Amino acid sequence: MAENSPTPQAVLDCLKRQVSPVTHRCSDSKIIRYGAFVGSVIESHSSLPRAMDYGRELIRLAADDGKSVASGTVILADTMSSCKGRFTREWHAPAGGVWGCMIHANTLLPQSRQFVSLAVGVACCEAVRESGGDEALLRWVNDLLVDGRKLAGFLIETYTERTHGEEFTLVGFGINVNNRAFPSELTDCAVSLAEILGKHSNLTEFTTLFLAKLAWCFGLLYHEEALELRGESFSGSAGRHMLLQRWLELSDTVGKKVVYGFDVMTAPQYRAEVLRVDEYGGLVLRLEDGFVKTEYSGEVRYIP
Amino acid sequence: MADEIDFDALLAQYKSDPFDYVDIYAIHTGRVTFKVSDGQEVTGPGGEWGQIPGTLLYEINRERNPKNISAGTNGIVTGIHLEFEGQFVEAGEKLLTIKHPLKKKEIIENILKEVLSLFSAPETAKYFFAMDIQSRIDKKGARAITIDSGDEILTMSLMKRDTPVYYKGEQGVIHSVYFKPGVSVAQGEPLIGICAPEKLPLIQKIITRVKADWDTDH
Repeated sequence: MAENSPTPQAVLDCLKRQVSPVTHRCSDSKIIRYGAFVGSVIESHSSLPRAMDYGRELIRLAADDGKSVASGTVILADTMSSCKGRFTREWHAPAGGVWGCMIHANTLLPQSRQFVSLAVGVACCEAVRESGGDEALLRWVNDLLVDGRKLAGFLIETYTERTHGEEFTLVGFGINVNNRAFPSELTDCAVSLAEILGKHSNLTEFTTLFLAKLAWCFGLLYHEEALELRGESFSGSAGRHMLLQRWLELSDTVGKKVVYGFDVMTAPQYRAEVLRVDEYGGLVLRLEDGFVKTEYSGEVRYIP
Repeated sequence: MADEIDFDALLAQYKSDPFDYVDIYAIHTGRVTFKVSDGQEVTGPGGEWGQIPGTLLYEINRERNPKNISAGTNGIVTGIHLEFEGQFVEAGEKLLTIKHPLKKKEIIENILKEVLSLFSAPETAKYFFAMDIQSRIDKKGARAITIDSGDEILTMSLMKRDTPVYYKGEQGVIHSVYFKPGVSVAQGEPLIGICAPEKLPLIQKIITRVKADWDTDH
């Protein structure tokens, strides 16, 4: 039996307790309704090779059966044996962490899809902060850091099933909660919530909170999209997209000196100062020669 | 048919008019102010990372939100529509043309694009080869890789969201690669050029012919 086993009802109850930290408006109920699909089905496993692969298999099997996987289906595993990060990076998923993915049937418009990466980062950062990790901060795009060490990482992959051509987004997450041991090469750059708090957290309760936050953030994406389609301004201050506004509140990237690269670990490209994040989530950088460039993909590392 | 291309006529055409004509349109509705004039020489983006913008072509202002639009390529400004100066224009209105002088390499690529099947970027994003394809390219080179319709060939990366891109088209080898990993490609721009194996001799003939017939690099 899996240790990390939140229920859809618990996630929904937790979602209903969420009230926007920035709006406190009647739109909250709409956001909850838009986001309630997240966690409507939850599969908890004691072990899987890789949740993203399992998610793709679920999608394939459902399509073969003439059906479609429920959007918002969450797959969790207490441990995973064949994890990977972006590019060819390894990701370790021992017992004690929150490992899994959420399947999202892609019904967002392209301009909203851009914010999916930000959404999962915001959700995790809020969950960690509410669990006591007050120092958690987001580094563009969605790395969750505490004191410069990575507490969580995310992988967003699109998958189009072949039978009906339906497009899904697989939102993969790996959050170091109670796991304290890291491979030697990661000891200096990884951290867990247990290390920060000095105690273990209830894994199922934390996951429930994270999924409720994820539901809220996806609800925000749909809510803001609906406003835009009606020709109205986004609901953040000065008409800013609410998800982006929340991301900015949780991030320390703006103002930092960084090294940028598409794959910054193996192929760093240039050094720059982060001027701002634009309305599409792009990172506006001033290079060392004074010219300004905006990046919509890739990653940064802070320069001490 | 590509096999029936009249190379003599094509080369004569490029020799008599060795230019690309790049039309510049209004990127959205707004009031236009030109920053260049007819006959002016302009430069494209520069710098190691493309961070130095090209020559400023026009400013478009909508609801007190001005945007500066710069040249994406070098050349000479022609056909500027001065009647739009200070006027409110619709998105997509043609504003001017840049007459871009072609280099030998560009002429070869232009001719090849008439022979190759081009696979274009579905969205403005950064692209890299799918891991399987990349490892095969690393071992044998792109021109030894045959791809078929339905193959996962690329990954499109935008805001840390990776989307597999599947090839649609006739079977062939990857002859030309038009993108660089880590450099953004605009929607609709070609990513790769595919060639049926039996057409490879024809491709080589084109390259040899242009190289031989073209005196200078410019």
